[in-house]
Amino acid sequence: MTDLPHDPDDDFAVPAPDAASDGAERARAKGFAELIDKVVAGRTPAAVPAEDQALLEVATAIRATMRPIELGSNRRSAIVEAALAMAIDRKGGRVSGASGALPIPITAAPRRRLARVAPWLVAATTSLAAAAALVLWMRDRRPAPAPAPTTAAVAPLPLEERSRPADALIGAIDRAGAGAALDRIDAIYADRLGGFRDRTMQGGRR
Amino acid sequence: MMSPRSVALAAALAVALALGLVACESSDAPRPGQRVTQVTAPEDAIDEALMIALGQAKNFHHKAKVYMSDGKPDLAIAAIKSVLAVPFPPGAPEADDVRADARAMLAKLLLAQGQPDAAMSEIDGGLAAATRESFFVANLYTVRGEILEAQATALDGATAPADVTRARELRRQAIVAYDKSIAINSAIQARLMEHR
Repeated sequence: MTDLPHDPDDDFAVPAPDAASDGAERARAKGFAELIDKVVAGRTPAAVPAEDQALLEVATAIRATMRPIELGSNRRSAIVEAALAMAIDRKGGRVSGASGALPIPITAAPRRRLARVAPWLVAATTSLAAAAALVLWMRDRRPAPAPAPTTAAVAPLPLEERSRPADALIGAIDRAGAGAALDRIDAIYADRLGGFRDRTMQGGRR
Repeated sequence: MMSPRSVALAAALAVALALGLVACESSDAPRPGQRVTQVTAPEDAIDEALMIALGQAKNFHHKAKVYMSDGKPDLAIAAIKSVLAVPFPPGAPEADDVRADARAMLAKLLLAQGQPDAAMSEIDGGLAAATRESFFVANLYTVRGEILEAQATALDGATAPADVTRARELRRQAIVAYDKSIAINSAIQARLMEHR
């Protein structure tokens, strides 16, 4: 690689990449670094040499791409309010001026939100009232027994379908059969089962 | 845009409308299809509860028979005692009959096991619980006579005057018990004949 040709108008000729830095180059680098520190800290000098100005712009651009700058809350609010004011002015047919003053107060927003929510609030209240009334109605109806009939009649049942003493069925128990309880319970069960079936399986006499 | 007052008014009207609808629907007026008359079964109708109770008692008796056939009288006695715990519908006449018969059966099993006092206790319990005279109550008196007779027989070999007197008294009580059984049976038989 060859050195760049020397420009007599350029005091900062670019040295070769592998050339050793001399004292003047290090002093210039230090001075430029201090200049960048001041710009980052917000203390930009009133006058910057023209040759440093170009380098400073490049450095600032590089820094902005590396670390996006976040606006302060006050600054952010001011920008948003200004944009809203401009949009409202345009909608109203007015031409917004360059001033930062807001044509309408920012506190108007909650009222507009209430106007948007009001129909939904009415609908929700109505639905809740209807639902509550429906629940109450269902709750009152569900556990309530069926309305008592205004007239109740006792259906006459045949003797064999009624619970009754087993004397007629079993008859007198002689001494020899005193312990034959098994035979008797079988007879009672069979007889009552017949009556139960007659009552429940013929329909309409339950 | 609706004012807050308008919103509140609309909500109140909605609630009032809903309550009005509920009030109208809650009337007791008969609805289409609702019966105004109903034929009910009498309280003494044979129902599921009675059949279940009778079925349980029947099964316990069969269980006791199996135990007796298997030479396990203690388990048979326990099975018969379970009959006494079967819940019957209140007021069912079958309950008195089945329980009295179980007491009689229990007393005979206990007597066969050499426990006349326990057997007599079951008879006394059955007679105390009886609410009416029946063939089953008569049977309790019959078994009572058997127990007394057995106790008297146990004293047959005794020579002591007190034992002889005691045996005589037991036989007298046995006869009283048998007579009571016969009297009950006769009365019930006569009553049944009247109803035929």
